[in-house]
Amino acid sequence: MEDVNLIDLMKSRAQAYGMLARLFREEVDLATLRELQGMRFPTATGNATVDEGYHQLFEYLRRAWEDSVTELAIDYVRTFIGHGVNGYSAAYPYESVYTSERRLLMQEARAEVLATLRENELKRGDWNEAEDHIALELEFMQRMALRAAEALADGAEDEAVAYLRTSYEFLENHLLNWVPMLVTDMRLHSKTLFYQGLGQLTLGTIEEDGAVLRELLDSVEE
Amino acid sequence: MAYSATATGEGTLTLLDFDDEFDPLAVDETAIDQEWMDDENPYDTIDYPTLRNMPETPHRAAVYTPERQGSVAEALRALVRQNPSHRRVLMNIVGLAEGGCAASAISAKVDEWMRDNRSVYAPMTLCRMLERAGALVLEMPETTEVAEDAEGGVAYLEIRETVDPVWRATDEALALRQEYLSGDQFRSVVLESDEARYGEVYEAVMALLEEAPQSMGAIEALTDTFPITKKPKRYGQHFMDVLQATDCAVWAREGWQLTDLGRTLFAEMKAAKEA
Repeated sequence: MEDVNLIDLMKSRAQAYGMLARLFREEVDLATLRELQGMRFPTATGNATVDEGYHQLFEYLRRAWEDSVTELAIDYVRTFIGHGVNGYSAAYPYESVYTSERRLLMQEARAEVLATLRENELKRGDWNEAEDHIALELEFMQRMALRAAEALADGAEDEAVAYLRTSYEFLENHLLNWVPMLVTDMRLHSKTLFYQGLGQLTLGTIEEDGAVLRELLDSVEE
Repeated sequence: MAYSATATGEGTLTLLDFDDEFDPLAVDETAIDQEWMDDENPYDTIDYPTLRNMPETPHRAAVYTPERQGSVAEALRALVRQNPSHRRVLMNIVGLAEGGCAASAISAKVDEWMRDNRSVYAPMTLCRMLERAGALVLEMPETTEVAEDAEGGVAYLEIRETVDPVWRATDEALALRQEYLSGDQFRSVVLESDEARYGEVYEAVMALLEEAPQSMGAIEALTDTFPITKKPKRYGQHFMDVLQATDCAVWAREGWQLTDLGRTLFAEMKAAKEA
């Protein structure tokens, strides 16, 4: 890791989390679709899940056109909202659903995320969803990565390490705890390669990021 | 019974009465696979299999199709009749797609035409409506150009050119469009029916609109000057409704104005009067 520019690494982590958060937050509009089509998709990152995610997204995007925005909006609703009331009709993007006994919203996980946000002087903006929504959790990771990059740029190494530790704990206690189950449900409910790929990419990204953060923290603690 | 029915002076409304036969939360015993349910739903809190048996997606048959209306022309006629505020745009799309037109070009044009109108329909939704009516056919290109690149030892895939499929109008749709553009509807509705007694009013309104876009107030002020509009009372809105329904006038940000068809027909009316 010594050769890696840590500031760049933090910035690229922030970008990855930012993109994932945006794609989970709301449906893809035409501007976002065009932006995604302008991206470059790595073919061999060293993580098979990330590679599969990128491959699926690329396969969808290379055939996507204006009408795909409607197709994606339909698939977003089918994947994350569903049309049943039994708690199994969609890949509900809330941690509480996957970590509570009766698959309910606004449970312990939400309270924990809310507490973490408050500890880090963050609060939900004008977006009216529970704090344990995957988009908000991913955005929290983005914020921590940006803060770490800023601290490193200011030479405040201890502060940066503290942000990395917060990120790692959040990843371990929250995202890695439930996103694998969410992605399994996304595979079940989504019909487009786009949302299949998004699930894989998210899973691979948080797994890979967990390993990177662990390695960075180990090197500091040694 | 959780709800009590609301009583009216004459008795109880049947609509609000509790139906003992209907229980939306009842479990359909025949559909439950208990073994599978225990695996998937260990807390046994819900009637999972019953809801699982629901269709995966809502299915609704298209309303305006050649199969339902009998022909492409009839389906398209019904579509534009039931969507009066989109008729001009729908017919313009058909005209644009004569010989084939890229989806992006249609989209840009529709946005321009709809500049002053609010619509819940995206340009491609309108094209899909026309496609279901048999008025348009979508031609999808086979593949797009993909490039492989490498930077810093990492290989990338890039989309060099995005897909832009072509919409092509069918012959039946083009024939119907010609029919609309011929102005026959205006002639039959305005010139050859009871409405013909308001001929001078239409002529005056069209002359006013030809000068410049007008507000409804200005049109009302004009139509009110004709004795024939006094009894029975005919407001300016009536004349604009007819002109709009026959594709002769359109509302834009600047006010009501004549369409190209309206200008042609107005010139035709003037020529006929002079002759």
